[in-house]
Amino acid sequence: MIITFCILSVFIIIGAVSTIRLHNIVYAVFSLMLLFSAIAGIFLLLMAEFVAVAQILIYLGAVGVLILFAVMLTHSVTGSSGKNIYSNGWGWGLLLSLSILFATLLPAIYFSDFPSDPAVEIIEPSVKKLGMEMMHSCVPAMWLIAILLTAALIGGIVIAAPPQKR
Amino acid sequence: MQDTLNLFVMNIGQWLSANLGTLNNPDQIIVEIARWLRTEFGNWGVVGFILANLMATVPLIAVFSGCFALTTWLERKGLGRIQNRYGPNRVGPYGLFQPMADGIKMLLKEDIVPERADKIGHFLAPVIIMIPAMTGLVFLPIGRNIIAASIDSALLFFFAIGSIVSLSVFMAGWASHNKFSLVGGMRAIAQLVSYEMPLILSAVVVVMFVGSMNTSVIVEAQQIKSWVTSDAPALQCLGQVLGWHVFQPWGLMGFLLLFVSALAEANRSPFDLPEADSEIIAGHLTEYSGFKYALFFLAEYVNTFAIIGICTTLFLGGWNGPNIRPPWSDDPQALLIPGFVWFFLKIFVLMGIMIWIRGTLPRLRIDQLMGFAWKFLLPLAIINLLVAGCFYHMEWYFGWPFSILILCKSYAIVVRLNKSKLVNSNRTYTYA
Repeated sequence: MIITFCILSVFIIIGAVSTIRLHNIVYAVFSLMLLFSAIAGIFLLLMAEFVAVAQILIYLGAVGVLILFAVMLTHSVTGSSGKNIYSNGWGWGLLLSLSILFATLLPAIYFSDFPSDPAVEIIEPSVKKLGMEMMHSCVPAMWLIAILLTAALIGGIVIAAPPQKR
Repeated sequence: MQDTLNLFVMNIGQWLSANLGTLNNPDQIIVEIARWLRTEFGNWGVVGFILANLMATVPLIAVFSGCFALTTWLERKGLGRIQNRYGPNRVGPYGLFQPMADGIKMLLKEDIVPERADKIGHFLAPVIIMIPAMTGLVFLPIGRNIIAASIDSALLFFFAIGSIVSLSVFMAGWASHNKFSLVGGMRAIAQLVSYEMPLILSAVVVVMFVGSMNTSVIVEAQQIKSWVTSDAPALQCLGQVLGWHVFQPWGLMGFLLLFVSALAEANRSPFDLPEADSEIIAGHLTEYSGFKYALFFLAEYVNTFAIIGICTTLFLGGWNGPNIRPPWSDDPQALLIPGFVWFFLKIFVLMGIMIWIRGTLPRLRIDQLMGFAWKFLLPLAIINLLVAGCFYHMEWYFGWPFSILILCKSYAIVVRLNKSKLVNSNRTYTYA
């Protein structure tokens, strides 16, 4: 389990760094996809299969395709090589992020008291409970989302419709 | 080493006498062997762990790749029959070894990469397209207790994994650095995204009815339990057939919708616009040759098998079939014929229907393709959802006529709306 976690973490770090650093935006999109799928793998490792599915469905399937469509509409896929990625203040940024890491995050992780025993005895399938919750207490929110999505769909049809002839 | 081997042989003997001596469960022999092997591997440490994992995945890959080979032969033979010619008949009996000859030919072909192509993307696309294809197979219950991953949200996982296909298709189209490839890739993505809606909506009906997304639970819900466990062989036989969801009005509608969307989702004819030879010279496959091209086709056929398998699992009863309990067995769950026989039979029947459709139906135009998804399949799928909800809460003598009436009426209305001037005005050619 720890080996799998390490492999996935390496993938996440590689994906994140190359998403930012690569000049070619299509490569950047694909490394973002790598990042998303590795995060889905981490969720699977934590036995949160529904969250993993949502991660794949929404981020890899929907957001990925959306970004790809945006990329297809851009003119120069390969950005001008060189300077514009490096800015003058990168040293300060590195210092700031490292200080946040060492001053707040690491102490917080070390000094917080994690339970050593599992919180629940038996891991029950989470999907059914989630569905029940959604259909009982979250029904108004679901209705609102449904109305919103319908409105968005109608709006899309209106935009896509050919102009009326006079 | 000698001791281990001796122990191994002794264990096999013990296990054979314990399990096969009585043959209580003839359909579970493979499962028992696998279970015993897994406990045996448990003592071998890391090697055993790897072996146990391989044991779950390698048969899937091997069997479905074999099915791919058989299907290419079947398809060429069937199309030949429809078009009044012989089809492959030179290699082996009835040309059965033709897939092998094809494979060797593909392997020996030169792998051409265009000079301006994006080398990494061009290489990665056929690799990535294999991931969703092979992962989709994991969720299919091939027989009773034969499933690689019996997880709780299997159906959702299946459709989520399927959405990665569009990503690799785009990668292939973009990396080839060819405008036909790019346009083909865009068309493929538009088609896959559009047909995902009716595909999922027609599958949701079953989830509503069964109350679970676990594929093994869905298959078991399609038995009439009291008939299967009864003593009369005829009842046992019927109990595993009449319970299929396709024999209910919403199920028949859902099956037809799912099958048509599956045709489009797997890029099968008559929806094979992204890759047909006569449409923008095979779209994203234009610049591929040799074994990369073969990989695309392997992925496509495995994808087709996965999606047909889901059709079978959801509506055609999965591994259920006209099956009886062996007379000598005292286990009420035991079956005489292993479930995977029925499963593969159904898969090949559906594949045969797909080949038949390919031989006889003309291809759709791109605007007809989009219109078909959004104006025909989607409304019917939503109406079917509504009907299934009502059917669930009604008595059968009220639910049957009600749902048949509503479904037939709504089908007629949707067809008439699609034919009327309101929706389908004359097409204006802007750029042609």
